[in-house]
Formats: sequence, structure tokens, C-alpha cells
Amino acid sequence: MVRSVAGLSLISKTRRKRKRWSNLPTAMFKRQGLRMGDLTKPRREAALAVLAAVLSPHGYEKILQIVEAEEVLGKSSGRTMFGRDEYYISFLGQPSTTEPWMIQFGGHHLGLNVTLAGEQGTVAPSHTGAQPAIYEIEGKTVRPLGRETDKAFALLSSLNEAQRKQAILDFQMRDLVLGPGRDGQTIQPEGIKGSALTEKQREMLLDLAGEWTGIMHEAVAAAKMDEMRKNIAETWFAWSGPTEKGSAAYFRIQGPTVIIEYAPQRLGGDPTKHIHTIYRDPTNDYGAKWWQR
Amino acid sequence: MVAAVTARLCRLALLLVLLSLPSAVFAHRDDEYLQATLVVIEPDDIRLQINITPGIAVAEQVIAVIDRDRDGAISTKEAAAYAELLKRDLTVRLDGRKSELKLTASEFVPPDELRTGSGIIQVEFSASFGPLAAGPHRLSLENRHLPAMSVYLINAARPRFATVEITRQKRADNQSVGEIEFTFHPFRP
Repeated sequence: MVRSVAGLSLISKTRRKRKRWSNLPTAMFKRQGLRMGDLTKPRREAALAVLAAVLSPHGYEKILQIVEAEEVLGKSSGRTMFGRDEYYISFLGQPSTTEPWMIQFGGHHLGLNVTLAGEQGTVAPSHTGAQPAIYEIEGKTVRPLGRETDKAFALLSSLNEAQRKQAILDFQMRDLVLGPGRDGQTIQPEGIKGSALTEKQREMLLDLAGEWTGIMHEAVAAAKMDEMRKNIAETWFAWSGPTEKGSAAYFRIQGPTVIIEYAPQRLGGDPTKHIHTIYRDPTNDYGAKWWQR
Repeated sequence: MVAAVTARLCRLALLLVLLSLPSAVFAHRDDEYLQATLVVIEPDDIRLQINITPGIAVAEQVIAVIDRDRDGAISTKEAAAYAELLKRDLTVRLDGRKSELKLTASEFVPPDELRTGSGIIQVEFSASFGPLAAGPHRLSLENRHLPAMSVYLINAARPRFATVEITRQKRADNQSVGEIEFTFHPFRP
């Protein structure tokens, strides 16, 4: 199935090209690859089938919900620059069952960088976001990043006073620190360390991180979860902003092989309805380990 | 001549497109000047790596400050002049002692890219304090650059060497001022 769409857009595997992605609207940051709105129905379905094949069911659903939020934004604003047609898919390197190659899928609020290398894979770095972060379709409420939000507040509320004192930063975090364009940077971790959490809280932290690492196919995600579990004592959780459930607050998870940030944005009114997040692996962004083999 | 006029028309067309977009629904900052500083502490060097991203609504003001001759390009001289301006608005102290900053690297994207809201200006300064003495230290940084429109982030980079241990970071609420406490262990393997 991958082979059938490989000819659509084959881009040489250069470092410069794989780092060329953004969360900005396509009118402001030109994407490489194929525009979904330009594809025939069968090709569009083939492109989505590629994503469905490499992602977990809940990861694929999350991506579709982010794209659908953009359709809602397009309709509510009356602007054609927003919508499901404005997403691009591209392939970097030669699709292979043994050698590394990449799939990039993105547009406004979404920058998915999937690297595959034989049995291994990663979705780091990737940006997920949504505006609106809550909307209704056919009477059903959709929250593309709802699980992330709810699990983070559940973890925060599980902390006792002493733990909260460590976890909560006393300054504003107005944006992602390591968002798109910040490749190769690593910051000093802050907040509360995994070793200061109870066993149950550590599981909650892993479960929360799994909302990002679990975007990938289950087999890959399970390996990543094992790796994070081994490092849990060295994994930090930091919070900035209000602590009332559902309020607009920033949080960060940082361990030896994972950095996740969640940052509500002031633009567009209610910051709880406009979320940006980033997932990075400081040891293996873009599958760096595998390209070096 | 024709090329220059065409380029000017293209810039104006881009500006018109940008101005016609509904800023309230944009999913990125448009009226703020994001200055994200990463403080790299190493045994023989302390560097400030500053990533600056002007939002669409403030890009023209920023470009006016940088592109002084208004020719639509940022020359080496203009880049250096802007870096100097930025440097004057930064104060770095180690254990209370003020340091001179030296520009070590910079990368300025073209004005047209800055106008999109995605262009990032990267500037790096080195703070010369001489070799670090063993033991605890306190580094403070104050950024007063364009405060009316700016949003600041200050973070210590994770040290590359085990000899440097970050022990604490403190910031003002808006992160225009930050303090990093660290210990230098020269004999740590």
C-alpha cells in the first residue's frame, strides 16, 4: 500500500528538508509535498491510508480531529486558507522495509514527522494543536486534545501540597520553549522529578506522555513506553498557570528521551480553546539514531 | 528597475494579504515579539542563544528598526547594528559582576520571511567572565529589549558537561529577568 503512493511525492532525504515544517497556516509557511485538496478522491484516501497504517487508531483519530477543527475554523471565519484541503503529505527518502525514511503530514496546527526504520519508528518531533480545541459535529462534542488536558489536570490534582510546590513554576509560560524551529536544543528540566512521585502518579505521568508517543502505531508506541518507564525516575513534570480544572495552563514533561510541552494560546479569545503542543525526543528526533547507522 | 518594482509590488501584495487576514483567528502570536533565550553554561564560556520571532502585526515595526535603508534586505551592517541594539538592552551578571557581551553568531532571515510571522532571527552572544571558579555561582540576565511588544522566555540549556550542575532557576513573572544558580565541579568526571 505504501508502495502504491510512493510515487506521488518522493523527496530526497536531506536534513534541511526534514527540518522544514511548521504549525503555521499554509498561507504563511509553504509546505512541501502534495496538497490534500489537489488529490483525487482515491489518492486522498490512499494518503490517509498511509497515515492510518503508521499511526495507532487513537493517533489517527486525533489527527483527523485536528484537521476537522481546521475545517470548523475555516467555516466560522469564512476563510478558505483554513480547512481540510490545506494539509500536505510528503515522503522523504525511499520507502523501505529496512532503511530509514520519513512521512511528513501537516498544515495549520499540525506538524507530524514520522520516521520509519524497519521495525522501529518515531513521531518526534511533532506539533499537535487545535483551534477550536472543542467543537461539535452532528451533535457530538469533539476535543482533539481532550485526553491530554484531562489527564494533566488529573495528575496535578493527585499531587499533595509539597509536591505541588515543586511542580508549579511561579512564572508565566506564554509559549512553547522547544516548538518548531528549535531542533537540537535541550533545556534544563524543572518541576517535580519522577522519583518524588508515588507509583500511581508515575503511571499517570506515563499515561499522559502516552497521548503523544501513542500517536504512533501500537508496536512502536509500546517500545517507546518501555523506554520511558525505565527512565521514569528521571522524568520531570512542570506546571505553569492556574490549577483549576479546565483552566488555561502550561505543562511540560521532560525525561532523558522525551520532551512534551502543552501551551494554551491567548490569540483568538479563550486560551482553553486554542492549544499548541510539541513532542520531541532529544536522543532521536527525526530518527537521528537510525540515519547514522 | 522592472525587477525592483515587481519585487516592491510583491511585497505590497503580501502585506495586503496579511493585513486582510482575520488576526483574531490566527493560531500563532501576531502582536507580540517573542524573544526566547537559551543560556548555555560551559566551563570556559557562557553564551546567550536568542531566538526572536516577530508576530505579523509587529513585524513592520521590527523591520523598520533593522532594515534602516529600507531596501528590503538586511545587510551584514544592518544585522550587526541591530545585534548591537539588542546587546545594549541585555544585562548579564555572574555573581553580581557585570559582563561585556560579544556577538558570536547571527542569522537574519529576509524581511519578507519576517512578515509571515514564521521568520526567526537568531543571535548569539558570549559573556566573558574568564575561567569559572569551583563552587556555586549565580548568573542573572535582564532583557529590556522592546518591552512594549515583547514576550520573553529564559531557560538554562541542559549542560553538556557533568562539571556544570544547574541547581535552580528563577524568573520574573514575565521572564524578562531570570536567575540561574549553578555549581561548577571542575574535578567531576
